[in-house]
Amino acid sequence: MTVTRALDGRLIVRFAGGLTIRLADVVALSGLSLAILLAAAASLTVGSTPVGMADAIAVLWHGPDASDLSFAVWDVRLPRILMGILVGASVALTGAMLQSLAQNPLADPGLLGLSQGSMTALLVIFVFLPGLPQGWLPLAALAGGLAVGVLLVILVGRANAGGMAILLMGIAVETSLSSVTSILLLYTPPEVSLALADWMAGSMFRASWQSLATFTPWFALGVPAILFLGRALRSYDLGDQMAMSLGENLSFSKPVILVTAVLLTSAAVSAVGPLAFLGVMAPHLANFISPASGRARLLLSAAVGALLVVCADMLTRGLAGELPLPTGLAIVMLGVPMFITTLRLRSARRMRGQ
Amino acid sequence: MKKFILVLVALLLAGQAFAETRQVVDDAGRTVEIPAKPQRIIALHEALLALPLIELGLDVVGVYGRADDGGSQIDVDFIKSVFGDDPALRIAGIGPIGNIDLEKVRALKPDLIIGMGQQQAQVQALSAIAPVYLQATMAGGESGFSIEKRLAELLGRKDVFAAKQAGYLARVADVKGRLPAETRGKTYLAVIVFDQVSAVRDVSGAVQAIRDLGYTPYDWSSRVTSEATPGRGFAVPLSSEEFARLDPDVLVVMNSYLSPDQSPEKIRARLDAIAPGWNRFVRAAREDRIIFLNSAEVATPTIQSALHTLTAFERWAGQ
Repeated sequence: MTVTRALDGRLIVRFAGGLTIRLADVVALSGLSLAILLAAAASLTVGSTPVGMADAIAVLWHGPDASDLSFAVWDVRLPRILMGILVGASVALTGAMLQSLAQNPLADPGLLGLSQGSMTALLVIFVFLPGLPQGWLPLAALAGGLAVGVLLVILVGRANAGGMAILLMGIAVETSLSSVTSILLLYTPPEVSLALADWMAGSMFRASWQSLATFTPWFALGVPAILFLGRALRSYDLGDQMAMSLGENLSFSKPVILVTAVLLTSAAVSAVGPLAFLGVMAPHLANFISPASGRARLLLSAAVGALLVVCADMLTRGLAGELPLPTGLAIVMLGVPMFITTLRLRSARRMRGQ
Repeated sequence: MKKFILVLVALLLAGQAFAETRQVVDDAGRTVEIPAKPQRIIALHEALLALPLIELGLDVVGVYGRADDGGSQIDVDFIKSVFGDDPALRIAGIGPIGNIDLEKVRALKPDLIIGMGQQQAQVQALSAIAPVYLQATMAGGESGFSIEKRLAELLGRKDVFAAKQAGYLARVADVKGRLPAETRGKTYLAVIVFDQVSAVRDVSGAVQAIRDLGYTPYDWSSRVTSEATPGRGFAVPLSSEEFARLDPDVLVVMNSYLSPDQSPEKIRARLDAIAPGWNRFVRAAREDRIIFLNSAEVATPTIQSALHTLTAFERWAGQ
């Protein structure tokens, strides 16, 4: 790792493997990482079993045992925190990547119909094959998301379509699938549709060591793949024509990025349900914290996504008490005010600049 | 000394009985090891599971959908509606709806958790605390208070169920004798008024009581399109036109259990809004053979709900 000065005078950090990030972005990333650690530590103490910070550290140090404290920390809170970090980072990362690919700040896995594809597939299983073993659900979610991804690639027509076309096709697919979901819910018994509605709003309830073990391989493969593919992100941000003139093979990279995004999103949806708006919100908040580009933007977005989900889970688990507040809604409640504030501050800044 | 040894042996035997487990296959096809005589049960559905368990005299220590103070988290409190406001039945909740609090579940120290067949997603997390038995609750397989009967067989409460059923059947015979002679053996259609009119299916004490009184189900499913799609819950939506076309001898109507006003006037007003002119098209309405029920009292698959239904029929017969 070396720190050098770029042509524009800014300090940049060069990591092994060719990753180059501005020093300011490294500082922001470190700050966000610290915030995630602090939020995770605080989250260990939040819940219906009273656990102080010293107790939590002692329980973690001694390893799992049969006590209530150990159950709360090791079996309930820690898997939820870790799942929150992984899922939050995945959804935010995918959102940032899709925004660059579509050259549109609105693009996210939800708006493009990827989450909806996974959700519809799961709903079809819940309604028509209720006895199917749980192990099949992640595969069904992946199949649903992948089907939407393939459909988008076909509809968009590989490289020739612009970002707006991807977005519009995604919205059309998402809207169609939403109506299918609504029809399925209409014919679902109330007790089942209630449970489905909870899951569809995003819930960390099912986070466990087992679900973490199922999701982690997708995260371990998907995130490096997106970061690798994201090396040309700066070119995508300049538009398709410019990217191609800079040597990017869009007919290859666009479908590959889309499929990778689909796999990561579908795995996240099958683990905790769709986390609405996180994919849009996190990159914008990251951009406000440090207006980075390229892979630094992806990493910052991932960190903001992870932080938002950990905080939202803490809110649902402890602070909301008996309020039925799914994690997905808590993310929106936490994130949207920040999102609006940052947008207003940014436009005020721009006005002052003019 | 002899007495002490006898008490000790009795306690040991009792402890042994409580500690005994047996292997059963639940309705989701899972093999589960459950206590022979469960002492502390958590129910994952209030109306369909907790109420039958309470009626069987079992100790339900936690119910999904209830608050810490024992009140209901939703607009209807089935326990209070069916069994009355009994302080002993202010059962604790296990966290907000959609976000079961596993730490609360564990703190209640259950030795058995009973969920519905569709709650497989929750099984993995809850099984770490206590064995989870999934009971089918859907119409198609279950009807009347068969859920309670099957739970009684599972949990060694057949005698309690039989005693309650005997009392109920005596009451059925009593009410049956008071019904208008011209309605005996006739067809009935039970509907519930949500945002639309829905035909009530088989799983409830109400339906059990109506059938035990000798009424036969009106064959509505072959006359409407709604049933063509899978609908196995408490009720199936009917369009207003479909509802107006149906021709049962007796119409049983109840308001949504979420509505605080269960009066006949309110139900009529809602029906007027949803299916204008219904009382001119439906013969049972024209001929004044409508029985109004309080859905919060009668919709659960319990003998007590069936008894509430009998009371409503008795009142109607007396008018």
